Amino acid sequence: MTDALLSARNLRKTFGGLVAVDEVSLDINSGSLHSIIGPNGAGKTTFFNLLTGRYRPSAGSVLYKGREITRLPVHQRAHLGIGRSFQITNLFPNLTVLENTRLAAQALGKDNFRLFRRAETFDVYTRQAYAALEMTGLREVVGLPANVLPHGGKRKLELAMILAADPELLLLDEPTAGMASEQVPELMQIIERIRTDGRKTIVMVEHNMNVVMGSSDRITVMHQGRVLAEGDPRQIAADKTVQAVYLGELYDLPKGESA
Amino acid sequence: MKTMQAPNQPTWRHWLRGNAFLFILLIGLILFPFIVGALTDSSPFGVPRGDRMIMRGESVRWQSVLIEVYILAILAMSYNLLFGFTGVISFGHALFFGVAGYVLGLMLEFTAIETGWALLLGALAGIAICGVLGLVVGLVTLRLKGVYFAIFTLAVAEMAFIFFGRWQLTRAEDGFAITELPLWLDPSQNRLNFYYVTLIAVVITFLFIRRLVNSPTGAVFKAIRENEDRAQSMGFNTLNYKLLSLTIAGMLAGAAGLLQVILNKKVGPELLGVSYTVDPLLMTIIGGIGTFSGPIIGAGGLHFLDVFLRDAELNLGGLVIDIANIWALLLGIIFILTVIVFPFGIIGTWQRWRARRKPPA
Repeated sequence: MTDALLSARNLRKTFGGLVAVDEVSLDINSGSLHSIIGPNGAGKTTFFNLLTGRYRPSAGSVLYKGREITRLPVHQRAHLGIGRSFQITNLFPNLTVLENTRLAAQALGKDNFRLFRRAETFDVYTRQAYAALEMTGLREVVGLPANVLPHGGKRKLELAMILAADPELLLLDEPTAGMASEQVPELMQIIERIRTDGRKTIVMVEHNMNVVMGSSDRITVMHQGRVLAEGDPRQIAADKTVQAVYLGELYDLPKGESA
Repeated sequence: MKTMQAPNQPTWRHWLRGNAFLFILLIGLILFPFIVGALTDSSPFGVPRGDRMIMRGESVRWQSVLIEVYILAILAMSYNLLFGFTGVISFGHALFFGVAGYVLGLMLEFTAIETGWALLLGALAGIAICGVLGLVVGLVTLRLKGVYFAIFTLAVAEMAFIFFGRWQLTRAEDGFAITELPLWLDPSQNRLNFYYVTLIAVVITFLFIRRLVNSPTGAVFKAIRENEDRAQSMGFNTLNYKLLSLTIAGMLAGAAGLLQVILNKKVGPELLGVSYTVDPLLMTIIGGIGTFSGPIIGAGGLHFLDVFLRDAELNLGGLVIDIANIWALLLGIIFILTVIVFPFGIIGTWQRWRARRKPPA
């Protein structure tokens, strides 16, 4: 596919004798929301970490805009316009909501080694941070330390921190993890809002089927380290093998039906 | 705290209000030798005898107590920059303190350079070498995380301790005396001058660290302390920032070492001893990790306890205990009590208490 922003080519990752990700190839189209689902242990998170650079693949390669980034360190990927969120809330707990977000904005600027001017006086970053906080509905709590936010607020701050860096590609690791189900729609609205101008591409690993089916352009189903199926939500919902291994697990179909 | 300031207020007035307590404290410390002098009827300059001065009297004695506090405060503030603001734990801070002291001592006593120039060159070279040391030690070890880094720094400092303890040129473990100092700075002649030199050094260090920590670079330091993985995924090459923090902290610790050598007029391997690592660590924890004034409060508190309790005797109904003999035990108990009563250090706990009393902004 020529339109791919991010591509995985025959990615493989083994831990000792365990093959966690086995020859996975995948294209993420520019401007799309591409979800990766699969039962526990399917290798989604490992695959995700190969894309973010946290793990080095045992074999295969990762291409971003056609450029090989397989071995690029995590911090350099951020400078290429790749932002990631974390499944386990991963903030700067004792810094304020504003400081958390402003750091994200500052990270890609050129003022990180300005030792003798107060951080607040760099208006560009503060403005970028406020814009991201506005979008995620955190404007009212900018002065609070991140660790006093309720869980839902922390998940939103996760998103705000990625947005503040204005990345082209957002890698989201279970953005709704641990959220009460009534809070999920609000978070999905934020993700929808992020997509409205069509400039951003999102890859999302997610457990919540409703979230995935309702918002994705494309879905890849992983099972036992491999790609089991790929297609739009309608195709995936109709796919018999997917129903057997994944939906079956959720809806408690008898084990005998798995292919 | 985070609310926007009224723009029409003159900035210096705003600055003064925000720092009122510190400002009053500073004026108090500037006048301190004269106040003590007036109260005890002693001269802050010492007693003249012939063309020399004898350092006798309460004012002069108190000056040296405070000079020691100031030196320890600089050392503790430098430790706090690394530990409290960047989250890097070093067990080898004495390395910088001692090496800078040796560089100055060697320059003053072992070269033919004229005293004033030797002092200037020795001070500059001492601080510069500490910066290089910080960079080299950091490049080798900062890839290690947490405890592993701490252990390695301890090893490096111990190596330096053993080396200078054996080096014949600097008279091994005896060390050597500083005999050549410019008269105006000599604490055994013009202690008051040296008092102000160290006080200025404390003020500069304090303002420097506060400005640094509040800069964009300082924001990254704090981010590394809070969550290094996250800082990396945002695009910060965290190794560079930790290197910078270690290098600056090393240079500041070196500056403290220079002052210590001038005060004692002696250079020896004890400057590299583990107590110059442990003391600033304790002072930082007691005063408040990651606060600006905590290390100063910690340094003052611990040193005053040391000065006053060490010579005291404990009288337990006929049983007289010399406190000097149980000093380490007592210090341990004080430390444990302080940590229980002030879990975030004296300043840190106070700040939290105040923040809780204020309605959320």
